[in-house]
Formats: sequence, structure tokens, C-alpha cells
Amino acid sequence: MAGAEDFVEADNAEAIITRIEHKSRKIESLLKQSKPVEALKTALEGSPPKTRDERCKSANWIAVHRAIMAIKDVDGMFSTLDPEYYDVLMKYLYRGLSTGDRPTCDQCLRIHEKLTEKAGLGCILRTLADTVNTV
Amino acid sequence: MAAQEISVHQLAQCITCHAWSPDHSMIALCPNNNEVHIYKLSPDRTNWEKLHVLQKHDQLVSGIDWSLRTNRIVTASHDRNSYVWNQEGSEWVPTLVILRLNRAALCVQWSPKENKFAVGSGAKTVCICYYEQDNNWWVSKLIRKKHESSVTSVAWHPNNILLATTSTDGKCRVFSTFIKGVDTRDSKAGSSSDSRFGEQIVQLDLSISWAFGVKWSPSGNTLAYAGHNSMIYFVDDVGPTPLAQNVAFRDLPLRDVLFVSEKMVIGVGFDCSPMVFAADERGIWSFIKYLGERRSSLSGSKHGSQISGAFGKFYGQSKLGASNDALEPSRSRGGVHENCINCIVPLKEGGSSRIRRFSTSGLDGRVVIWDLENQEDLSQYL
Repeated sequence: MAGAEDFVEADNAEAIITRIEHKSRKIESLLKQSKPVEALKTALEGSPPKTRDERCKSANWIAVHRAIMAIKDVDGMFSTLDPEYYDVLMKYLYRGLSTGDRPTCDQCLRIHEKLTEKAGLGCILRTLADTVNTV
Repeated sequence: MAAQEISVHQLAQCITCHAWSPDHSMIALCPNNNEVHIYKLSPDRTNWEKLHVLQKHDQLVSGIDWSLRTNRIVTASHDRNSYVWNQEGSEWVPTLVILRLNRAALCVQWSPKENKFAVGSGAKTVCICYYEQDNNWWVSKLIRKKHESSVTSVAWHPNNILLATTSTDGKCRVFSTFIKGVDTRDSKAGSSSDSRFGEQIVQLDLSISWAFGVKWSPSGNTLAYAGHNSMIYFVDDVGPTPLAQNVAFRDLPLRDVLFVSEKMVIGVGFDCSPMVFAADERGIWSFIKYLGERRSSLSGSKHGSQISGAFGKFYGQSKLGASNDALEPSRSRGGVHENCINCIVPLKEGGSSRIRRFSTSGLDGRVVIWDLENQEDLSQYL
């Protein structure tokens, strides 16, 4: 019985990975057209992947990371990024900070400051409190 | 907001909870220790006179409720006991209620008919207490093995049978508290009165973190409670198929909520300013505004909410408060309360269920009385 469930989970994971790969290609093409905010929105859509599978989460993080690092104008980004993305973006910023990678952390902190102004401390609390839908 | 609509009273260093006498002339509060102090406002409404000190508990008093019709005070404490205080002459005489708990009692509330009271506890149980005439004794009946963690708040449905609880396991539950010999089977109460004592009517699994401060709307049709992740939850049609709404807000989490009407809820908590939530004509709930924000903006960055100062240091500059004000010019925190608000109590006008005034108390030791009467932008929700 447990084996069957694992299989379903793995099957599901393959489907999610395929979707993320498709998403990554779209992000690359948007970045080539110099549309970093569109790329970030695409990356954040469907996040967090509805699975506990770490491979899926990592694959999605790589896509989001690619989009986050491409953001040059943070203020400009917030003028077009809708509030519905704030909570999930905050989750990825904390994932970025947890990597300890210098350029990633620098970029995440820059966005974190602006996002906190925009979305308030409530957004941070929802990120820290959510142990179920992790990214 | 004109000054007379908010009155601030500094009554202690820190207040854990408070309750009003039926005519609102006296207030019972716990100044963060094992005592309950009763103050009376002088006739010229300028200063408070300490009338009584109720000393019987051994540890912190965590809950006080003063019954409207029977003029009895019930207290709950971390010492795992409750007392019911009756006024005899000029003295308050305590009656011990043995709750049979092995952890602290955390909250207490009289039922609408005042023949029962409910105590939430750290022992993952709720006690329903009622008076047994034959033995001249308050009996505690326990609802066990339903909560997976401490019960942080209890709220009575107007039908005197249903009880809503919130818990640090993140769930909000509704129970039947029907007690034979105390409650009568009432055709008006509908199916809810058919349930046995302790039967769980519904479990709401909306929050992923601690849940606090549950309340029913005046009609009992809507339930509201707060999550520790800066969310507030509104639930209609409490029963087998509840309709739930989640509202996220931008500031620190709430500790307690209060329905002032069917369409308006006041939330208080770590943000120091009460928040107003209201439902539009389609029944969609949203955040409306903060109360008490038209104070000088100077105090905003200085006092701030509790952790914004720390965040200022985190960014190497204390500009977070200032930039918040820049976004919302009228917004300044900490003007009326300067610390977490943990208690909100309605001031019901004699006989009617109309609520226009309510009081809040918190860790700054202040009791603040708020009046919604002349708030034109809110009148449509009242």
C-alpha cells in the first residue's frame, strides 16, 4: 500500500519536474526579451510545488533564483508585481538567504528591504510560520 | 478622531486581562500578578479609586469575566483553579472551583445565560463549570482528548450550548456543552441542542500556526479567530459545510478579536493599534483601517511596534518606521497603546445588544475605551 503511494508521488513528481523545465525555458526567453519582472512572475506561478519532493522544490528554486538574480531595478519591479506574489516571493527570499551564497544574499536582502516596506511584517510572519507549504 | 472618543487610563505596569461591572462603573483587572484589582471611576471621571483587591490565587490570573445579570466575577489562574466571587455587602466572597487540571488555566468566559462558564487550559482540555444546587458547589466537567495543544480562547454561542475554542495546535473547534439538568432541550436552538456533552460539531483547520481570540457574531452566524501568522479567519455556516474566508494583513498578528456588529470586527494584538475588519454587501471581509492613528507622527518611529526597532538595526538604519509612515501618511503606531494589546471587551449598553464602545488593555498597563459613535466612515458597517 505504502509502495503504491510512493509510486503515485514519484509519478506526480516527474510531472512537476516537466512543468518546471517548461517554465524554465519560458523564463529564459523572457529574460532574453529583457522582461525580468515577467520572468519572475512566471517563476513564482505554481509555487510552492504541491509536493514534499525535495527534487521538485530544488528545481523550482533554481528557476526562481534565475529570475530573482536578473532583477536590476527593485523599485521598478514592485510597480508591476501584484500583491498576490508577495508572500511566495518572501519565502524564496528566505530560501535564498539560507544558501549563504554572497551574491544571492546581497540580492535577496535588497529585495527583502523593499518587500518589507510594501507587504509589511505580516508577510514575514506568514513566511516564518508556514511549515506546511515550504518552498 | 476627536480626543473624547478615546480615553486612556494608566492603571498598572502591565495588565493581563480586564472585565467591567454590569453598569461599567467598575473595572476588574489583573496587574500581571496573582491579584485582581477592582477600581471605580470617580464621579467627575478624572481618577480611579481602588476599591478591592481580590487575593486568593497563588499564581498569575489569566482570565476574568464579570457576569452582567448575576453580578458575579469568575477568575482563572495559572495555579490551575478558578474562583467565583460573589458580592456580599461590601466584600467579595470567593468560592473555589476545582477544575481538575494539571496545567494552567488560560481563559474563562460566562455563558450567555450565566449558568455555566468555560475555562480553557494548557492541559489540552476545556472545563465546563456549572452550579450544583444540592451540594452548594461548582462542578467542572471536562472536554478531554479533542485538543492537541493548549486552549487559548473560548467563546459561547448565543444559544448557551455551543462553545468555540482556539488552540495552539492551530485549530478552531466547536463543541456542544449540553448538560442535563442545567440546559433544557429548546426547539429554537435547532439541531445543536440534540448533541451530547463534549461532542465536536466541527473542526476548522485553516491556520498553520497558533490560533487565538475566537468570537461569535451577535447572531451566532459567523465565527472569527486569529492566527499567529498575521491572518484572520471568518467562518459562516458553522456546521458540516462551513464557508471560510482567510484575510491576510500587513502587520503583526492579532491576539483577540471582537464583533461590534454582524459586519464589523475589531482585532487587537502585537501591532498596538486596533484594526477594523468589515464585510461588504457580498459578505467579503477585508481590512478597513486602524483605530487611533490620527496621533502625531513623531511617536511613530520612536515607539513603533515591538520588533520594527530591531529590524531598523538589522538594516543598519532605523528608517523602517519612517518609511511605513511615508507609505501611509496617517499611520503612526504606538500612540494610544505602546505595547501588545491582549484583551478586548465590549461595553454593551443597558439591555440592548448594540455595541458602540469597547475597551482594550495590554502589556503597557493601559485600559483604553474606544467609541465608534461618530466615525462616519464606519457607520455603514454598524
